[in-house]
Amino acid sequence: MAAYLTRRNALTLLGGTFAGLIGCRHSRQSKVVVGSKNFTEQIILAELLAQQIETHTMLLVDRRLNLGGTLICQQALLAGQMDLYAEYTGTALTAVLGQPSSHDAETVYRAVHDAYRDRFGFDVGPPLGFNNTFAIVVRGEDAEKLRLQTISDLAPLAPHWRAGFGYEFMERSDGYRGLSLAYGLTFTAAPSIMDLGLLYRALKERKVDVVAGNSTDGLIAALGMVILEDDRHYFPPYQAVTVIRGGALQAHPELRAALDALGGKISDADMRQMNYAVDGDQRDPAAIAREFLRARNL
Amino acid sequence: MNFWNFVLAHRAEIFSRTVEHLLLVAAAMFAAVLIGIPLGIALVRRHNLRRWVLGAANVIQTIPSLALFGFLIPVPFLGGIGARTAIVALALYALLPILQNTYTGIAGVDPAVLESARGMGMTPAQILWDVELPLSMGVILAGVRVAMVICIGVATIAAAIGAGGLGVFIFRGVAMVSNAVILAGAIPAALLALAVDFLFGLLEKKLAR
Repeated sequence: MAAYLTRRNALTLLGGTFAGLIGCRHSRQSKVVVGSKNFTEQIILAELLAQQIETHTMLLVDRRLNLGGTLICQQALLAGQMDLYAEYTGTALTAVLGQPSSHDAETVYRAVHDAYRDRFGFDVGPPLGFNNTFAIVVRGEDAEKLRLQTISDLAPLAPHWRAGFGYEFMERSDGYRGLSLAYGLTFTAAPSIMDLGLLYRALKERKVDVVAGNSTDGLIAALGMVILEDDRHYFPPYQAVTVIRGGALQAHPELRAALDALGGKISDADMRQMNYAVDGDQRDPAAIAREFLRARNL
Repeated sequence: MNFWNFVLAHRAEIFSRTVEHLLLVAAAMFAAVLIGIPLGIALVRRHNLRRWVLGAANVIQTIPSLALFGFLIPVPFLGGIGARTAIVALALYALLPILQNTYTGIAGVDPAVLESARGMGMTPAQILWDVELPLSMGVILAGVRVAMVICIGVATIAAAIGAGGLGVFIFRGVAMVSNAVILAGAIPAALLALAVDFLFGLLEKKLAR
């Protein structure tokens, strides 16, 4: 009987200690939730943001990666289920706010920054540096041989060239239709419409001569291709920015300094390289992010 | 956009994409039957080839379609972009069930029946056409039926290589984040598969009689 009591007391004591430990841990180290959409670049960006927070604050980071799209991230942030993620200014303006885009990066940034603050109570951080917009891509050797640098240079040659475009580029209002008007681009043969990943292969194998990709696609550099400059500024800006829930920023003001330090630090070429490291070389996004932050002393 | 509104507004395109889809399937099935049935018969005669050929057909079946297209783009004559590549890929996917069932059907003909055919003085060609093929027709046809239904489903990925078909709506819908557009491709494809399966069922019943 005595032994039983002792054992029960011991158990109670142990349980109490555990509860106390968990309680302490909870109150001292709070968590922020970092999210991402479901493609490579977003996962790398989420890792960069998460590791930046882990290195420069005492906060723990909970990663919610691969969420199915912009609207899910937006809803999660509104519901307080998520604290921050990386978004693109053009996407925020057209898809979330439902406003027409502009061709000036600064205008778009300000519009998003102000509307997010007023309508949702979200803080939009400084642009991270790169711009993930559509890009007109040709083979490097053609660009060199024909001295192509801008999309305007392409316009006189276009009738003899074969174009390949993805479904998204054909459907979106900032895609093909507007582009051909803006530059007077006309192709004699109807463009081949196919999967974007296969388009790069088709370009490399000379089945098409010009394709529309995304400016941070890792394959562009890896396959020796060149992006023609959008000299008439047709493509709207899609600058990457951090979107943070206002409540999270109030609870943890130290987040701002940690995240703002990333502002302007990631160039188009950096992002292409990191995307290729994951897609092309099959490396781990977390390791890629760690190397990048270390190399830049961040 | 509402599904029915989309279908009404695009009925001409849905019709022409359905025709395109059927042409892709028909061309691929023609090639698959032309290769699969003779090859299946040959495998019964040449036992040592069997493991390799069926193994290869099995491996092809496991290659994801986008990867298969990727391999085919640089291949001369068969590859490139457009309908030809899609038909080659579809035919490769349709090969396994046809091959497998032809082999099973011919190999399953009762040896006693073959013995008596030979005893009657029939030539090997006569035995094939008048004994083996008629006796295994049900099994071979079942293989073609499965291949056909697979082919109709898989043909939606032809749109990834610029070959058209009902997959165009599916890819477009994914790009536009519109379920209505996706369904405008997926529903006709499913109906086609059901209709073809039904027709083959009738044909099999007729042959069984």
